[in-house]
Amino acid sequence: MMFETAILVGILFGFAVWLILQSSFVKILFGFILLSNAANLAMLSSSGSPSGRSAPVVLDGIAVTAMADPLPQALVLTAIVIGFGVLSYLVVLLYRIFLDQKTTNAAELFDESRSQEGGPEQ
Amino acid sequence: MKLTQSFIFVSVATFLFFLINVFAFYLLLRGHNFPGGGFIGGLGSAISLILLSLAIGVKTMDRILRFDPVAIAAAGLLIAFLTSCIGMFAGDPFLTQYNLKLTDVPLLGELALGTPLLFDIGVYLVVVGVTTKMIFLLARSVEGHPAFEDHERDRYASVIEEPIENLAAPPRESPVSDSKLHDV
Amino acid sequence: MNLVVLPVLLPALTGLFALLILRPSPVRRTLVGISGGLQVALACTLVGLTYTQGPMKVELGDWPAPFGIVLYIDVLAAIMIAIGAVISWACMLYGFFELPTRVTHPLRLPLVQFLMMGINLALVTADLFNLFVAFEVMLLASYALITLEADDWNIKEAFPYLSVNLFSSMLFLAGAGFAYGMFGSLNFADIAQQAELMADDPRVGALGILLLVVFGIKAGIFPLYFWLPNSYPILPAPLAALYAGMLTKVGVYVILRLFGTLLPHEFSGLHLVVAWMGGLTMVLGVLGAVSRGFIRGILSFHILSQIGYMILAIGFFTPFSIAAVIFYNIHNNIVKASLFLVGGTATVLNRTDTLARMGNLWVATPALGIIFLCQALSLAGLPPFSGFWGKLMIVLEGLNLGSGPGGWQFFVLTGLALFTGILTLFSMLKIWLTTFWVRDESIEVHREDRRWKGMTAVVGGMCLLSLTIGFGAQFFIKLSFEASRQLLDKAAYIEFILGPS
Repeated sequence: MMFETAILVGILFGFAVWLILQSSFVKILFGFILLSNAANLAMLSSSGSPSGRSAPVVLDGIAVTAMADPLPQALVLTAIVIGFGVLSYLVVLLYRIFLDQKTTNAAELFDESRSQEGGPEQ
Repeated sequence: MKLTQSFIFVSVATFLFFLINVFAFYLLLRGHNFPGGGFIGGLGSAISLILLSLAIGVKTMDRILRFDPVAIAAAGLLIAFLTSCIGMFAGDPFLTQYNLKLTDVPLLGELALGTPLLFDIGVYLVVVGVTTKMIFLLARSVEGHPAFEDHERDRYASVIEEPIENLAAPPRESPVSDSKLHDV
Repeated sequence: MNLVVLPVLLPALTGLFALLILRPSPVRRTLVGISGGLQVALACTLVGLTYTQGPMKVELGDWPAPFGIVLYIDVLAAIMIAIGAVISWACMLYGFFELPTRVTHPLRLPLVQFLMMGINLALVTADLFNLFVAFEVMLLASYALITLEADDWNIKEAFPYLSVNLFSSMLFLAGAGFAYGMFGSLNFADIAQQAELMADDPRVGALGILLLVVFGIKAGIFPLYFWLPNSYPILPAPLAALYAGMLTKVGVYVILRLFGTLLPHEFSGLHLVVAWMGGLTMVLGVLGAVSRGFIRGILSFHILSQIGYMILAIGFFTPFSIAAVIFYNIHNNIVKASLFLVGGTATVLNRTDTLARMGNLWVATPALGIIFLCQALSLAGLPPFSGFWGKLMIVLEGLNLGSGPGGWQFFVLTGLALFTGILTLFSMLKIWLTTFWVRDESIEVHREDRRWKGMTAVVGGMCLLSLTIGFGAQFFIKLSFEASRQLLDKAAYIEFILGPS
């Protein structure tokens, strides 16, 4: 179980980096979404294999020993929320850049030869 | 983009709005010792608001909401912070919780109250405020409305800024030309 | 004990009240201004208390140490909080003079307070995941601030800033998971205790390198700095000063914690790599500064080269060099921030910050010229200004280490540090000569714009502070040595957090 998770995290990280290095805004955005999922999965997998253990809810009559480690789950919840916030910020930023610069291509965005009124002059 | 106003969707969404909110409050109150709590309850309420906005449109939603989501979020955060401070006045560490068990409440019977509930309500408000703000802002651009209503402009945008939607507008003389990286 | 929470709580509450006021108004400015003063007073109290009575901690919600969240302040953290409070206060006052209430961006003040909350939380936290959360609070506020007042053309520079920092945050998260999987704990003291026992385990080194990459991106160290020099210039002057003064320095602080507290002290190979990274950051940063033609661009590259000095001294890793880093930090944050503020004032007077179209400022306002010259010479490290003492300590330690085994590397690095000092002087004098000294009738100075007076007054205050650091160096160096001693005394730290074993 842990081995498969490790492979999956690796694949997700690799694919995310590949997507982020593309020039289209949409691909970059999806790259970051994958990246945050990869990091969350890596965080979650630090609790060890969950097989054979119950959910970490304290109820009467369930032995405490057979519980999955709750801490990484709490941490990953925080991380998901933070990731959600940052990603929604990224969406809005990309949208604003699209409105301002009229391109969805990152390579074109930083192309120095593309001229615009009031642009850099160095 | 104009949303298709399906009669079935609108009536179902209006009905569901109340149902989801009841469930969200249930989750909020049950939290802390059982699965639930302010965060998930807030998400439930936010989802109900978003569903309603899909049915009746963001413009109408704005009119009937009557509150600024950011102010709600700030108030929620303030509640959460102040609740955490209670312990400091009692000489305990920050974030210490206090519980109270009432045994004889009319109609309800036994009732456990505590500062974690107040904290959860704060979290609930933050989540509702932030989520609806984010989604409504994006939804407005999808439906072709400007990002800010006129009455909101002085809260979220500097008065010297042009709305970014007015791309055709000529650049106005800016009183802070020094805020630019390069002189135009 | 709850004093430890206040540096986080005070900016948070101020920011929230400012947000609830909704619109920019004099009430809001008064509130934030008073709160800024309170934060400075609080931070100075904290420095005094930690210096005389040792570190402080609070276990949030009364949960015992390795399980609950612990906040911890020692002299180093208190010093950083104090510098942050001073700089943010100065930047806010400067901002009040720069723009009238009506035209300030309504979200600027609350966001600056939230930024300070994140920074202070990162400084006082004593566990890895809380550090991640603090970084995210800090970064989200900084993302918002960097795009808040950017114009249509410059906004794109925020994109590399956001994506690089988002990437490093995700690496940090994975690294925190890695640490939890390895040690079963995220508490610094707990990790330090266990890492000490398994210093030979390659995984500890791998974790150290992963975290070094993460914090290196935040601090802007050599191969990871490219996002910084283009994104900072899009900020308005007071915010650029705050970013330059505090945001990247949090990265340096965390690297200090990483090597001083978290990792075993025997990683000399890694320390050498860090020293070389610092040396290269120094040189490449200053070369970038020489190549730039506008004030904010030059100063942004100087941030890098100054960070390089600190990273170099961290790489030396002796109690003396750590004290040098801390002293350098005190001096450099103030100087760097006030240089950005002087640049902003000059920009208001000349209506541009492109060097080719600036000039005549010495005639218009000699006071500003003197302030700039003091700070520029201090940055370059000339005596008797504050920068001299920091550089002197670093160079002394480099020469001292150079006489040991494998010393040539330290000689080369020290040489690089001196070379960088000369180039810094060169590029600062370039600004000085073209903006202040050049007499050109075609260049207008807008003295009738009254704003520059108040702005100069704020910068003058910063300059006085920096001169105090330079002339009263003995006190600050003593403070730095105490901070360095507390940082490197791991046994005491572990016992203080976890209790006697």
